[in-house]
Amino acid sequence: MEGQGKWLKFGFVGPALLILIGLNIFPLIYSILLSFTDAELIGGSFGFVGGRNYGRVFSAPRFAAALRTTGLFVLLAVGFELILGFGLALGLKERFRGKPLLLTLLLVPMMLPQAVMGLFWNLVLNGYYGVLNQILAFLGLGQPQWLTDPDLKFFSILMIDVWMWTPFMMLIGLAALNAIPTYIYEAAAIDRASRWIVFRRITLPMCGPLLGLAVLLRATDALKQFDLVMAVTGPNDPATQTLSALLYQVMFRDGSVGLGSAYAYVVLVLVIALASVFLRYMDRLQQKEGEVAG
Amino acid sequence: MKTAFSLLGVVLLLFGLSGCATEEPQESGEKSITIWWAQWAPADGLQELGKVFQKETGIEVVVHQIPWSSYQDQVFLNFGNNQTDFDIVVGDSQWIGRGATKRLFLDLTDWLPEAVDIGTIHPRALRYLCEYPGGSGRYFAAPCETDAVGFAYRKDWFEDAAEMAAFQEKYGRQLAVPETWAEFKEVAEFFTRPEEKVYGCALLTGRGYDSLTMGYQVLMWGWGGSWGDEEKHRVDGYANAEGPVQALQFMKDLMALAPPGGTNIDYGKSLDAFMSGSTAMSMNYFAFYPGIAAEMGDKAGFFKAPAHGQTRVTSLGGQGFSISTKVSSRQQELAKQFIAWFLQEKIQRQWVQKPAGFTANTSILSSAEFAGATAYNRPFAESMDLVRDFWNVPVYNELLSVAQRHLGEALDGRRSPKEALDALAAGHEQVFRRVFLLQ
Amino acid sequence: MRILIRVFVGVYFCIAALPLGWLMMTSFKTRSASIGVQAKFLPTASEKVDPQSVRFRPTLDGYRQLNQAYAGAKYSFFRYLGNSVLIGLLSTFASVVIGTCCAYGFSRFRIAGSRDWLFFILSTRFLPPLTVVMPVLMMYREFDLQNSHLGLIVLYTAFNLSLAVWLMKGFIDDIPQAYEEAALVDGYSRLQAFRLIILPKAAPGMAVTAVFCLISAWNEFGFAMTLNNQEAVTVPVYFAGLQGNVQGLPWPQIGAGVLLFVAPIVLFTVLVRGHLLRGVTFGTIKR
Repeated sequence: MEGQGKWLKFGFVGPALLILIGLNIFPLIYSILLSFTDAELIGGSFGFVGGRNYGRVFSAPRFAAALRTTGLFVLLAVGFELILGFGLALGLKERFRGKPLLLTLLLVPMMLPQAVMGLFWNLVLNGYYGVLNQILAFLGLGQPQWLTDPDLKFFSILMIDVWMWTPFMMLIGLAALNAIPTYIYEAAAIDRASRWIVFRRITLPMCGPLLGLAVLLRATDALKQFDLVMAVTGPNDPATQTLSALLYQVMFRDGSVGLGSAYAYVVLVLVIALASVFLRYMDRLQQKEGEVAG
Repeated sequence: MKTAFSLLGVVLLLFGLSGCATEEPQESGEKSITIWWAQWAPADGLQELGKVFQKETGIEVVVHQIPWSSYQDQVFLNFGNNQTDFDIVVGDSQWIGRGATKRLFLDLTDWLPEAVDIGTIHPRALRYLCEYPGGSGRYFAAPCETDAVGFAYRKDWFEDAAEMAAFQEKYGRQLAVPETWAEFKEVAEFFTRPEEKVYGCALLTGRGYDSLTMGYQVLMWGWGGSWGDEEKHRVDGYANAEGPVQALQFMKDLMALAPPGGTNIDYGKSLDAFMSGSTAMSMNYFAFYPGIAAEMGDKAGFFKAPAHGQTRVTSLGGQGFSISTKVSSRQQELAKQFIAWFLQEKIQRQWVQKPAGFTANTSILSSAEFAGATAYNRPFAESMDLVRDFWNVPVYNELLSVAQRHLGEALDGRRSPKEALDALAAGHEQVFRRVFLLQ
Repeated sequence: MRILIRVFVGVYFCIAALPLGWLMMTSFKTRSASIGVQAKFLPTASEKVDPQSVRFRPTLDGYRQLNQAYAGAKYSFFRYLGNSVLIGLLSTFASVVIGTCCAYGFSRFRIAGSRDWLFFILSTRFLPPLTVVMPVLMMYREFDLQNSHLGLIVLYTAFNLSLAVWLMKGFIDDIPQAYEEAALVDGYSRLQAFRLIILPKAAPGMAVTAVFCLISAWNEFGFAMTLNNQEAVTVPVYFAGLQGNVQGLPWPQIGAGVLLFVAPIVLFTVLVRGHLLRGVTFGTIKR
């Protein structure tokens, strides 16, 4: 449906694109330039240093450590959320009284501010007077030091993230399950297929695409993990230093803007790689839907 | 649904307007100085004195407090702006190198000797809080709060007859304030009773800003170690020598005698651990002790850092007034006026009466009146002769975060003390090499 | 099997609700009760409460103290709440308006490379804020925007635009083009068709989009903290800034504040529960 020429088109679409370019693309270009300098947070003059910052990024053990930590976090968090969330969706598939209310309540955690809830989880997880340890003591189990034990700190952050985002997986799982037409199940029942076969051959594959989308969405979010780390352990803790926390440490604590920009760029390349996987996947999905819709 | 939304929108707007209707910041026109400091009792005291200053001169003094864990970040972030939001920053002693070389702190070399008699400032305070480079005679800060690391102990437990008898029996000597680290460990062992939720000692081990480094260096120096050669900036062979390794191991052993979470205790938590009644001895800066004394009265006593052999050293604390170079000269003049007023002896006498005000004024420090005034004054005055400080070079914050990281690994058991200190030394030398200080 | 799943759901619900329930209870306790070594979960009306018991005396102190500036903060909690509201509402308004126009453009007009543009818009969501914050801060410093409400509002608008465009495109795509075609035939201009036909029909969608943008701005932490705001401090930054406080964290106050802060979000979640799926997946999955 062609309209009255180009100006109208620009008028609608222009402002948004301009803002996005101005505050997304332009900073990225600026960031590249900065990454070749030794600029500092406290301002002042700075100079060109060539590729030295990038050299430091790739030789820094803390960068590899942050990569490992973040990768592990993404894998475990998304994995747990997928299993728990899909499990919940399976359990909540059918109608029952109070289902809408229960669902809405279950969905609340994922809408909450991570930084604030992280702070509050500090109280729950406190080794001394936290309620979790009180419950564990009551049940006769040990008193793990969630916030100070170096082996547990990572797990604590993982736990909070799973608590927050399992509802997300559950929501998408429910949508996927509800999208499977009932006649397929009826046909399987006629064929007297066992529940396990039904699950493996029908439910899982048909939920696959949507779940895959959810996993990708959640993975890209988990990569950005910053708020929880700041709230629970601070940015300089080797046990929980994710990529974003490392960026904060370098840029704002060490005060090296040039080096920080180099780090940021390397992280960006990784994120873009993952994003293009996501976008290609989504593209295929939409094409498939398009084919079906005809 | 539409009405619900619009209703909610109205409610939210009301929320918002009510919030913004609260106090607006002062309009310019009236004379006013803004001081930034960490959030703790001494800042309250400074604010009170600020009100006195306002009465005398009509210049308003606003003290803005920021919690320790983000204080450094906020200050240096603010220094990057075209104009800082503060006129004076009461900067931590380590900041002075950065502030001086990056031209963030105003050079006070010509002004300070006129404003106050340099002879009345305790030499160590002068060297560590005001001068950069150390011993050069160039000043970038004026003393505000002088401080040192010391210990608080449960005097009532130590003087309890039953405890004293049990201690005498177990260790063959009288239960008393520990003079050496070995005695300290014995006392801590004696008081560690997890079933009763009582523990022997809480040391400074916080990972947030600098607590762990400040706590560790007391032991490191005691065992004869040092952070490195101050001229050549060599670290290998100094920070990871045999002495410091033993000191770190000793500190790690003391963790078994600490309350749960003892491997990550910052200033606030150390305070908490002591005041909640669960710890016999707690390490902290003297600035926190007036609060303890006020709250716990005779139950609390104080002592200076124990010795190891003949060596007794403790960490310097304290902050100095530095004037920002990024404000108008009119504001800088007002700032100087305030600082000069503050440093007068009669005002310093008022300062020590304020909650947690500690002075560098030598005549006050050495006076009998001061020593007798409170339970912590004498140990504090004695500690001032024992203080040393961490690196204060411009890149101190990178050195600090390297130290925090590796010392933390040792306490967490991720690396042995030797490995951790080796990594620390390597990390420090790498920093120095990069800024061409390593020779 | 069914029982097992029911049990699983039940257990999960209890565990998931625990922190929130604890939050609520904490907001009614005194400070010493909130950090008592013995967890307290039974309210009692009696005056004298043994520190070792599981009972606590409920009090509104936590809520009352919200009105005072806590330990060295410049303002009381309500000021920061006001900041969050102001910044949230204004940035949401801007992103929804601009986003709707943009979505309309992509939906109704043939724009060269629109698929690429849309994917570009989607990809901005993948950016970790920390990677962009430095150049933004340096840009802001040129204009002294780093300490201001306006700075955050502009930034949030930009980062919510992608969400707004994708969500609104989905909603507008659902509106049959027949209406506009009829209007155009009747002699209305494109703009009039947009204003008189599309906007009213898209209004519910805009409301939903507004909710999601608001929640996103409400919860945002990374930018709000790093753009060094002394003036435009939002609630998440305020709470984070309380850490390291030497007087210890005021848990009842935090509980009360968090509840107040989170209440609108919960309300909004309930209001848009029909569109939650669309909203949290950025409009890529519709029901």
